[in-house]
Amino acid sequence: MNRPSPAGWRRRAAAAWAVALAFGAAAFALAEVSWRALPHPRPLEELSYYPSGRSLRPATLGHAATAADLAWLRAVQYYGGHRATDNRFERMEHVFDILTTLDPGFRPAYVFGSFALAQEGRDFPAAERLMRKGLAANPASGELAFQLGFLYYVRPGGRDLAQAARWFEQASRQADAPPQSARFAAFARQNGGELLGAYELWGEVERNSPNRLLRELAARERERIREALRSGRHERAMSRLSTPAVLLKAD
Amino acid sequence: MNALLIAHNTFREATRDRVVAGMVAAGLALLGVTLVVSPLALGEGSRLLVDLGLTGISVLGLLVVLLTGTSLVAKEVERRTIYNLLSRPIQRPAYLVGKWAGLSAALWAVAVVLGLALWGLVALRGHGAAGPAVLQAVYLAGLELTVVTALAVMFSAISTPVLSALYTLGFFLAGQWSYDLRTFAAKFPPELGAMVSAVAHLVPNLPLFNMRTLAAAGETTTPLHLALATLYAAVYVGCALGLAAAAFESKDFK
Amino acid sequence: MQTSTVTDTGRPAVGRDACVPDPSLAVCTRGLAKDYVHPWTLRRTRGLDALDLDVRRGEVLGLLGPNGAGKTTTLKLLTGLLKPTHGRAWLLGEPVERTAARRGLGFLPEQPYFYDYLSGLEYLELAGRLSGLDADAARRRARHWLDRVGLGERPGLRLRKYSKGMLQRLGLAAALVHEPELLILDEPMSGLDPFGRRDVRELIAEQRERGVTVLFSSHILPDVEMLCDRVAILLGGRLTRVATVGELVEGGRQSVEIRCAPGALLELPRAWAGAVTRAERADETVFRLDDEARLPEVLGALLRAGVAVRAVTPQRPTLEELFLAAAEGERARRSA
Repeated sequence: MNRPSPAGWRRRAAAAWAVALAFGAAAFALAEVSWRALPHPRPLEELSYYPSGRSLRPATLGHAATAADLAWLRAVQYYGGHRATDNRFERMEHVFDILTTLDPGFRPAYVFGSFALAQEGRDFPAAERLMRKGLAANPASGELAFQLGFLYYVRPGGRDLAQAARWFEQASRQADAPPQSARFAAFARQNGGELLGAYELWGEVERNSPNRLLRELAARERERIREALRSGRHERAMSRLSTPAVLLKAD
Repeated sequence: MNALLIAHNTFREATRDRVVAGMVAAGLALLGVTLVVSPLALGEGSRLLVDLGLTGISVLGLLVVLLTGTSLVAKEVERRTIYNLLSRPIQRPAYLVGKWAGLSAALWAVAVVLGLALWGLVALRGHGAAGPAVLQAVYLAGLELTVVTALAVMFSAISTPVLSALYTLGFFLAGQWSYDLRTFAAKFPPELGAMVSAVAHLVPNLPLFNMRTLAAAGETTTPLHLALATLYAAVYVGCALGLAAAAFESKDFK
Repeated sequence: MQTSTVTDTGRPAVGRDACVPDPSLAVCTRGLAKDYVHPWTLRRTRGLDALDLDVRRGEVLGLLGPNGAGKTTTLKLLTGLLKPTHGRAWLLGEPVERTAARRGLGFLPEQPYFYDYLSGLEYLELAGRLSGLDADAARRRARHWLDRVGLGERPGLRLRKYSKGMLQRLGLAAALVHEPELLILDEPMSGLDPFGRRDVRELIAEQRERGVTVLFSSHILPDVEMLCDRVAILLGGRLTRVATVGELVEGGRQSVEIRCAPGALLELPRAWAGAVTRAERADETVFRLDDEARLPEVLGALLRAGVAVRAVTPQRPTLEELFLAAAEGERARRSA
């Protein structure tokens, strides 16, 4: 006849579980209290006083891209946090500069950083520098060229249509060009008064666009330009621009 | 009493181990290198020194935990040295508490040595006013290490040394991101957000022990912060050791 | 079967439903069993089956059995290193699941390992303190026992430099440093040379003189024969026999060996066929009688034939022979 063994160790194990749960609940509560009551550490500022990404790169031990990813996550939160509070982005250019030095191929960082600097940070020169840095590191990027063109196109305080058109054209020549690049280049040229250049660009759209409606639009614009050139009334071919319908997204 | 004896013995083991001595040496070397390169920081040399010094304490301490702490219990079980202890009138939870206390004490010793060296260097650079902030940051770094040590002891009690190291490292990394996890949880769909939030609460709240940025700027933190961090460390350690004890009670030593 | 043969009083020392055992017992188990469950297949293997065993205070009990018989399982169940699946056990009157049960216990595990970063003296001091001694007493006794087991010349030597034999001696010292009432030793002679084994035997005999109860497992049967008051034989996880050594060997048939000068009695009488065997050695002839009852007849015939008889020696079966026979019997029983 075998009786079951006594539960001495089971009682002790249950007591240990109870202690663990009690302490766990206390830890949970304290974590909530500290989350609400204490300022959160600002780890992005830890990056901010490094002289450059070049000095930081060796410390990542070959994992610069991963470090850039982690820094990117923090950068996005930094932006959101400051946008929701004081709208001050003093360290933003420096931080994105470091981020893009760690990973020069990180194209979303250039795009997001530039537009955040231009639109929120009111620092167009910094935005321009960042985007040009991106193009220097990624010269064949149609996406970055397009975004730089767009940056000039929507520049606060006055568009630079010549630059916009230049970069839209460059974008249209790249393999990863956004499909609207040529069209945007044409718009920019046209509205900047460069009717002949615009006429050529519209011709490209009419010949190459897979979109029938766009081909028809291009044909109409070419007709308008011809009409304006014939009549000498160039302003008929230009318009106070509504911003072209494009969705700007930072991925 | 038995827990104290085991703690003393574990402290003795840790300090006789070359790993701890090596980490102290590495930390002092890091401070020396930081001192040398700080002119490159364009006027931010003291910030660099403080931040790298504090980071060094945390990283080197973590290495000690991963190399030594995660095999604290598991190694004794594998080598069967634990038979000689548990066949004496010692309660198993007391054994675990002693192991944690011993290694924590060794890590505090490392943190104090490196922290004092850091303070000294900062004072030498003419930024003695940052001393209190540095010491507070070292204290919080020490608390962080005691929490991670408790996790290491817990995993070591239920798993092999290698797996314990992986779990401990995983919890450490997730704990560093616990605030970010909470922020992300609010932005995800409800079910996923609840899961992420649960993970954020399970892992240790390590940003609570991070005042490196403040210390780098020479700013002290509030007594509330120090008190909350101390209390949180105590209860999280209690929870981890409680779980370890629960698992250890039912363990058979074949 | 086990209940009726294991106790000296002829009755169980404690009833199945009683909670407090006889205080004259150092060790008491009732229905103690251990199953091992495979972590993947969940297959159960019974390591120990319903052990009822009583060990009186002050006696030396040897635990015998082949590898896998359940000896180490039994000792680990008693020392709290394993949790029983069924049954109960008491050490010195305390249930084994209580820490207090190990206060008067000294345990030497099989092939002991220690903290290699400690010296022998440091380790014994730690062992003493963990067993309840104060700092001074621990230090004093550590020194005493280190000397006693022959390791006192280099008290500061780190354990990583100890040989296997030295570690075994240290383990014994650690089991004795707090002067326990009960010693449980798992293969205490393991790894020792003949001198070492002699020393361990002397130590065990010393402890018996002091009234300490000793329960030890061993493969070295001559040592068991020399030291033990009783022997318990475990086979296949079951206790098959507990008796004194004398009771065990008396149960076996006794033979007689007659040693004579060489060349004695060239031809054996036909009547002796099957009962007497003859062996020629370089300097003597040996006659072996399976049944001692034939001794007068055979000895008389040899003397009448003028054979120079040198010695007549009764041959009791050794414990080893009995043990092997019992193991063989158990194997046959299992396969039947």
